Order: sequence, then structure tokens, then C-alpha cells
Amino acid sequence: MYTLALLNGGLGTRVAAGQPKQLIRVNHIPAMVYPLVAVDPLPEVTQIVLNYPEGWREEIEKLVKDYAISTPITYVPGGSSRHESVRLMLPHCENEHVIVHETARPLVSTADFAELIASEHENVSFMLEIPFTVAPVEPETRRVTGYLERDRLRNVQLPQKFRLSTLQAAHEYAREHDLQFTEDATLCAVAGAEVYFIPGNDRNFKVTTKTDVKLAGYLLGAEGTDD
Amino acid sequence: MTKTMLVTGASKGIGQATVERFWAGANDIDTFVLLARSSTEFDELRAHLAANNPGGKRFFHHEIDLNDLDAIRDLLPQIIAEAGRVDYLVNNAGFTAPSPIHEVRFEDFERTINVNLYAPFVITQGLLHAGNRFEFILNVASTAGINGRSGWLTYSASKAAMIAMSQVMKEELSIYGTRVVTISPGRCATALRRTLAPDEDPSTIMQPEDVAGVIEMLASDFGRFVDSQNLVVRL
Ligand SMILES: NC(=O)c1ccc[n+]([C@@H]2O[C@H](COP(=O)([O-])OP(=O)(O)OC[C@H]3O[C@@H](n4cnc5c(N)ncnc54)[C@H](OP(=O)(O)O)[C@@H]3O)[C@@H](O)[C@H]2O)c1
Repeated sequence: MYTLALLNGGLGTRVAAGQPKQLIRVNHIPAMVYPLVAVDPLPEVTQIVLNYPEGWREEIEKLVKDYAISTPITYVPGGSSRHESVRLMLPHCENEHVIVHETARPLVSTADFAELIASEHENVSFMLEIPFTVAPVEPETRRVTGYLERDRLRNVQLPQKFRLSTLQAAHEYAREHDLQFTEDATLCAVAGAEVYFIPGNDRNFKVTTKTDVKLAGYLLGAEGTDD
Repeated sequence: MTKTMLVTGASKGIGQATVERFWAGANDIDTFVLLARSSTEFDELRAHLAANNPGGKRFFHHEIDLNDLDAIRDLLPQIIAEAGRVDYLVNNAGFTAPSPIHEVRFEDFERTINVNLYAPFVITQGLLHAGNRFEFILNVASTAGINGRSGWLTYSASKAAMIAMSQVMKEELSIYGTRVVTISPGRCATALRRTLAPDEDPSTIMQPEDVAGVIEMLASDFGRFVDSQNLVVRL
């Protein structure tokens, strides 16, 4: 059985000075609702650990109730970094396997979660080919230092799944070596675990800028299915 | 798995014809939840269903005034308890008390909005809050919601609002894979039509069974090819 650890940094910028920050919404529906709705029908996922930005617990619990999410949810406050947020969620995960996702990827589908669960490997991430060239550089001097073979690189996406003990050991390794990672697949690999990837989908992109929010809304709305 | 269909305004007209059609038809719906106020027509419909049931289907019925929104809120848990869930929802019940603006009684306007707009909203939202995932929702609006006519102020306003509400539901509920369909019948030979046009010969216009046939097509696998807009159904 699986626990979904759902990272929910999800506060957008202030609409205007003096206004409180807002939850990121796509087509007016909070971004966090989409992955919750996508994962809810899967019988393999028996627990969701959801973190919440400081001061937002009540609001988030109300949304979970309004959208009638039936999988039991454990609420955990977010950390000061993404890395720390994952670490803080681990002690609350009750299953042997953990799926890590973030609310900033609302275009994830039930089928994506099902495909991840069905993978024969224990530690797996969706990853995308890189359609453009990247170069290693020295930012200070703006010197280009060589060449990277893009066939051997991947764009790391979410969701990912791990054996809980593997993810815990990797975070312990990071703590001992004073390392911070921006995601957990490479963290686990660096810490010595066997990690695999399955090809992702470019629809499941990360929504960060206002343009991303518009694009996600377009793809999720009626327009996205037009001719 | 077998499915459940809830029909409001099941006792007469389009609602009754729809229930009879799905009851007799070859489909995966084996449980019906029928809502209307008490009437001899409602009694007769239930007797008819019980006497003609080769498919071994079952129905639950509730005598309820949809003008009473609290009564709807109280009823929903009972519907979930008896039927398990609602896969197909047909928001069909409708009311009208036509009169020109100078003569509109505000209670009638409120009743019209309650039955035609708030009741379908309360039913849909209440079931969503209970965790129900609909497969298909059909909202019965009207051509009167597209074009106003003298004397139809309250009714036209309620149906225009229904069309808009239904379009929004269609977008928002797509995250559950729910298909939300709006139909706007034109004149159809029912009691409601007699109220709107007392002098008309009912045998010359569309019959409730015709609309029920269109609803059956919309609920079928082919329905999704024609359901993108408010669908006008008229002779
Ligand atoms: N006929 C037309 O020309 C036409 C055209 C466009 C749209 N429509 C729409 O089609 C739908 C069905 O109407 P119809 O033409 O079939 O009329 P109908 O034969 O008069 O049936 C109306 C149904 O709604 C129910 N209803 C009305 N008020 C109710 C209340 N307060 N509580 C519970 N149920 C109530 C009635 O049940 P009880 O009265 O027994 O409770 C009846 O079952 C309506 O939404 C109507 O606006 C009809």
C-alpha cells in the first residue's frame, strides 16, 4: 500500500499590497484539489500526507471537506525548504511505499499515478527527455566549460515513488553530509539507492508563473480539448 | 456494475416519460430514485413500474416539495443510504406561474427560482459534498431561457440561469470525468405547457416521449458527440 506525500507550498503572490497571499488556483479551483481528486479513486493509496503553509490549515481542511476527498489525510506543516518539507512528512507516512507529488503539478492524472504504482521498480520517477541543448557554464565568468550529452540527461518530474525506508535513509544521508536537494529521485540515487525513471508527459508541467497558470487552465478547460 | 438514476419531477410529463423509457430500455441502470410531490399520477407511475418489470429493476420514491430546500438537504443522506450513489442525475422538475411584470407575485418568482434553479443546485452540491461522483448530469432548461416572451419573466429568468449554471458545472465537474448536459426543449405537450399556452392543441406539438428519447440518446455512449452545447430539442 502507498502513502501520497503531497507537497503543498502553493501560495501565489499577493494580488495587491495589503492583501493576503492566495492559494494558487487553476480555473478558480485550488491547484491542490486536482492531484487529490486524481489520486482519491486509487485503492492502493490508503493515506495522504498533506502539508500546509503556515496559517492555512483550517482553510485547507475545509477544501478537503468541500471536495469530498475520501482517502484519510494527515496534515503536516510545511518546512522552510522543499527538501525539509519532505523530511518532515516522512515520520507521518504509515505505508511501506511513498508517492511524492506537489500541488504545483495539477495536470497529473489518475492514470499517471496508476502507471507509477504499476512500475516493477520500487524507486521510480517520471522524467522527460530534454528537447533543447544545455551547456555547463561558470556563471561568475560566463565561461562555457564543456558539453553535456542531452541523451543522457532527463528533466525530473513528479510524481515519484520510493520505498519509505529508502527515502528515510536518503534524507538521513543528506543530513549527515549537510546536503539539500530540490527533489528526491536524485537524492536517493546519490545516497546509493537504485532509482529508475519512466517517460513522463509534457502536459504534467510545473505551474509556477502566471503564464503557467493560464496555460494549465487552458489545458484543463474546455478550450484544451477543442479542435 | 449497475447504475443508479435520480430523476426529479418524475411524476408527470418529460420526467415520467424518461423514467419509463430507461426502466424499459436495455441499459446498465437498475436502480431509480424518483422525486415529486404526492399525486395520483405519481401513484400510477409506481404501480405501472411495479407491474412491468421484466428487468428486475428497483426504485425508491420520495414525495417531496422541491420548493423546500431544507427538506432536500434532509433527504439527500437518505438517498445515499438507500441507493448507495447516484450515477445519472436528471434535474427535470420545473415550475411556472406565468404573468406579466405588473402582476408577478414575488412568492411565485421565489418558488420558480427555488424549484428550477436552487433545487438542482442543492441536490448536485449536496451529493458532491457526500463524495458522490456523477457519471452524467442532465439539466432540463428551456428555449424560454434563450429568448424571453411576454408573460414568462420569472420562468425565462430561471431557465436562463439554469443554462449558465449548467455550463459552469460542465467545466468544473470535468475533473471527475462527469458529463454535464443541458437541454432546452421547445414546446412539449405536458401540464406545464398547458399553463404557459392554454389555447394550444397538445396533439400538434412535441410529446414527452420524444424528449425522453433524446435524453436516452444523450446518456448513451453517442451522447458525448452532441453534448458540447445547450442542446435545443424541438419540433
Ligand atoms: N413542456 C414544455 O413545453 C417544456 C419546454 C421546455 C422545458 N420544459 C421543462 O421540462 C421540465 C419538465 O416539465 P414538463 O413539461 O414535463 O412539465 P410537467 O408535466 O408539469 O412536469 C413537471 C414535473 O416537475 C415536478 N414539480 C414541479 N414543481 C415541483 C415541486 N415544487 N416539487 C417537486 N416536484 C415538482 C412535477 O411534479 P409534481 O407537480 O407532481 O410535484 C412534475 O413531475 C421542466 O423543467 C420544464 O421547465 C418543458
